[in-house]
Amino acid sequence: MQVYLPIAEMSVDAFLLMGIGFGVGWLSGLFGVGGGFLLTPLLILVGIPSPVAVASGANQTLGASVSGLIAQWRRGNVDARMGTVLLAGGFVGSVAGVQLFALLRRVGQVDLAVSLFYVVVLGTVGGLMVVESVKAILRRRTATRRKLHEHFWAHGLPLKMRFRKSRLYISVIPPFLIGAGIGLLSAVMGVGGGFMLVPAMIYLLGMPTSVVIGTSLFQVVFVAANVTLLAAVQLGTVDVLLTLLLLAGGVAGAQFGAQMGTRLRGEETRALLGLLVLGVALSLLWGLLRPPENLFSTGPAL
Amino acid sequence: MAETAAEKAATAKRDRVFLVVVDDSPEREVALKYACLRARNGGGRVALLRVVEPVPMIEWAGVGVLMAEERREEAEKLLSGLGAQVQEITGGMPILLIREGEPRDELLALLEEDPRISILVLASAAAGSGGPGPLITALTGRHGSRLRVPLTIVPGGLDDKELERVT
Repeated sequence: MQVYLPIAEMSVDAFLLMGIGFGVGWLSGLFGVGGGFLLTPLLILVGIPSPVAVASGANQTLGASVSGLIAQWRRGNVDARMGTVLLAGGFVGSVAGVQLFALLRRVGQVDLAVSLFYVVVLGTVGGLMVVESVKAILRRRTATRRKLHEHFWAHGLPLKMRFRKSRLYISVIPPFLIGAGIGLLSAVMGVGGGFMLVPAMIYLLGMPTSVVIGTSLFQVVFVAANVTLLAAVQLGTVDVLLTLLLLAGGVAGAQFGAQMGTRLRGEETRALLGLLVLGVALSLLWGLLRPPENLFSTGPAL
Repeated sequence: MAETAAEKAATAKRDRVFLVVVDDSPEREVALKYACLRARNGGGRVALLRVVEPVPMIEWAGVGVLMAEERREEAEKLLSGLGAQVQEITGGMPILLIREGEPRDELLALLEEDPRISILVLASAAAGSGGPGPLITALTGRHGSRLRVPLTIVPGGLDDKELERVT
């Protein structure tokens, strides 16, 4: 059943889109991830223009993260103060990201830029994940105990603030910068960025692990909402019909995935996720490297 | 020398163990106090069970390990704090138990595995909270047949004086 997507300006099989939504929802429920990093490349692969794919990815992440945030908030696992600082950075970063995106579109390099971002970021993240979980599978390694108060140059920065829930007294500059970086990635790639935010919060900021997931969801939800809104208003790249079809599949998929996910735990799952991330990066890399079918295209002379 | 019935009963009493589930509800205080007073007045020991939530699926293995460690440490800290309270009342150190998983399943599994436990003490939630609490609801309802020891339900609203009287 072909449907015409008004913003993407193309017709696509509606069942294919619902299938993609279902698959991505299933995986995001299974692995407990946002799913934006899977959806955006998949949409690009079926021929949706990159700007529309990125906006849809941000939207998908938003949808997948809201219920998680509500659950974490109820259990008091959100450091709202830290979240607000991260979010302030996130807004700045995502606004800058959308401007960058608009600029790239003007010079006609947006497809290349999105693919490059994906190849670099997902390649790195996926590689690290696989290495880490393979190490963990091979030998049940003894985790090196983290020193609780490791002082380094970041602790000398001004504008210190007390974060009671995180039991921290640190400058707002590092979390602001981290938030801005994730916001930028979110705007350019259509991902939530939780997979980079969580380790950054633990290893760079020294937050306790109990509040990390809730606080990262707090940032992800509002930044993804901001990206979607900006993409709709400034770039005009949010396709209502596309979003609707993806969501219809995604909601069903997430339920199945979450049910299966409770039984699937541990290192093997993590290795699988790493391989999946790496696979996405490689397929985009292949898309960049392979010679195009038509080396030269002809068009009317201007 | 033959043991008299009274002596036998006294030893048995000293051997009994009151199990209290340490959750984050306000009524756990009442259950703990009740178990301590019973142990003090009639002999026996107190066991504290803390069920730690399992770590959810995290992208990074290192983060998951750290998270599990922090949760365990927190549980240990909580239990040793409560353990000191128990020691103050009963004079003996309680048995500290930490398990990971779903509270109800872990509680039932523990009762099945650990023959030392004689009585399970739970306190019901205060009036107006729409039920006595999830564990009591489960153990008196659908999962009641899996219970291996007697269950004592302490009304969560009892104050110290009333607790003294009923123990």
